[in-house]
Amino acid sequence: MRGEGRFRDPWPPVQRPRFAWIRDHWRVSRDCFTLACRRLWSSLLVWLLIGISLALPAALYLLQHNLAAAAAQWDGRPSFTVYLQTGSEIGVARGLADRLDAEPEVERAWVITPQQALAEFSEGLTIADALEVLGENPLPASVRATVADGVREEELQRFMAEQSAAEGVDEVVLEKAWLERMAAISDFVGRVGWILAAVFGLGAALVTASSVRLVIESRLEELSVQKLVGGTDAFVRRPFLYFGLFYGVGGGMVAAMLVAGSLGALEAPLVTLFDSYKERLTIEGMDGPLVGALLGVGGLLGLFGALIATNRRLKQVELT
Amino acid sequence: MGSIALHDVTKRFDNGQEALRNVSLTFDEGSMAFLTGHSGAGKSTFLKLLLRLQLPTQGQIVVNGVNISQLPRRRIPRYRQHLGAVFQDHHLLSDRTVLENVALPLVVTSMRARDIATRARAALSMVGLLAKERLYPSHLSAGEQQRVGIARAVVNRPNLILADEPTGNLDPELSREVMGLFVNFRRIGATVIVATHDQHLIETMGVRVIELDSGRVVRDEAPGA
Repeated sequence: MRGEGRFRDPWPPVQRPRFAWIRDHWRVSRDCFTLACRRLWSSLLVWLLIGISLALPAALYLLQHNLAAAAAQWDGRPSFTVYLQTGSEIGVARGLADRLDAEPEVERAWVITPQQALAEFSEGLTIADALEVLGENPLPASVRATVADGVREEELQRFMAEQSAAEGVDEVVLEKAWLERMAAISDFVGRVGWILAAVFGLGAALVTASSVRLVIESRLEELSVQKLVGGTDAFVRRPFLYFGLFYGVGGGMVAAMLVAGSLGALEAPLVTLFDSYKERLTIEGMDGPLVGALLGVGGLLGLFGALIATNRRLKQVELT
Repeated sequence: MGSIALHDVTKRFDNGQEALRNVSLTFDEGSMAFLTGHSGAGKSTFLKLLLRLQLPTQGQIVVNGVNISQLPRRRIPRYRQHLGAVFQDHHLLSDRTVLENVALPLVVTSMRARDIATRARAALSMVGLLAKERLYPSHLSAGEQQRVGIARAVVNRPNLILADEPTGNLDPELSREVMGLFVNFRRIGATVIVATHDQHLIETMGVRVIELDSGRVVRDEAPGA
């Protein structure tokens, strides 16, 4: 028949009304939602499994993002602070600042008075009241300095050692070291995040695939009858894709809640930690785009898992 | 739109058993035939080949001019949308109501919900089960379940009706009514092939009879022969 020129299809497609596909999708999504709600306990378990799989990479992404942001806030030029011994006169600090200003290794030096130190220290901390109770400011004056361009690491280390040994100096703290470490940690965390995202993403897809597979197995009779009466592969597959989507988006929501909850619990100690390094930390938490991305990624992984399950199984389904 | 031709069709299973051997038959559009024979004679395999649930080991099955063995996978659903199939064990969905079961062949075509309900109710009315549209199959007798299966088979006004022991669970009066339903579909151009053991039905209906034995056609009698 195919070689006879015009081939008239003996089984023309049944005319579908306009927008029939919208109605089909609405019907199937509603049915899936109802069925998933009927199996609420198993649905919750699947959401939780997918949620945990997505939460860890998402948390690492946030951590890396925050570390990178903190590193970016720093102006990029190393600085150090010379802390004077407690009780040192402000004049000592001024003299030291003038001396440092004249050094070729230093670009600029300025005095941090005990009052300024107290103000910095108190900012964002709840121990300010305790300090007030002491009646007097226990913090010494200090001199902060930025290092001039072109100073090599060993020169800087030697220069700082000299300053540490100077009379009236309690401690010299290089501010750059920990920021460099933080940048390295940020890079490491970012890479770990990507690896975990790939591994756990695959895990989430497989969790969805096995869950959808279970749903398929429980509806084999229905599927074989649907195929017998002319259900296309797309028609038969559709509910399971919705299941995958539903599980994935639900898992994304759980992940968003887990990450937001964890951030809420960790924010205060992290801020305290950063403050101890004289750095201000503004934690960027879950925002709209990130929640949207989690839902989107969850949904896509769910769809992918459902596709794996349906492609493998539905081809074998026929009445026998 | 319902002509069928089998050319030298053999179906051999993996275990070497031959369910059909060199069967060659033709069915004109709008014709009706009984397929009879002992259990294991090959009747069900014959119907499954026409439903494209199985493929012949050799030979051709041509329906409406198309060799259905060579139908691409994506076109099989469309072929089946123009068929009606009745099974001895009904294959009704236990978690769907009678109406939903009957409506299934229309749902897969994305017909409008209102039209689906109208046509499904009309099919149920034909088999006398309209009053039970809201019940689930488990609430029906075997005979009623069989009638639901028949309603599902005819709801999409098929070109070809294939029935495997459709009256197995029905009383004689109801069997005649169901056959009358098939005859009516035959009159509007559908080809009807019914596999049955029911000798009384075969003798009284006056339609073509094809008898299979061990996969071979041993009798092919036209009415009045």
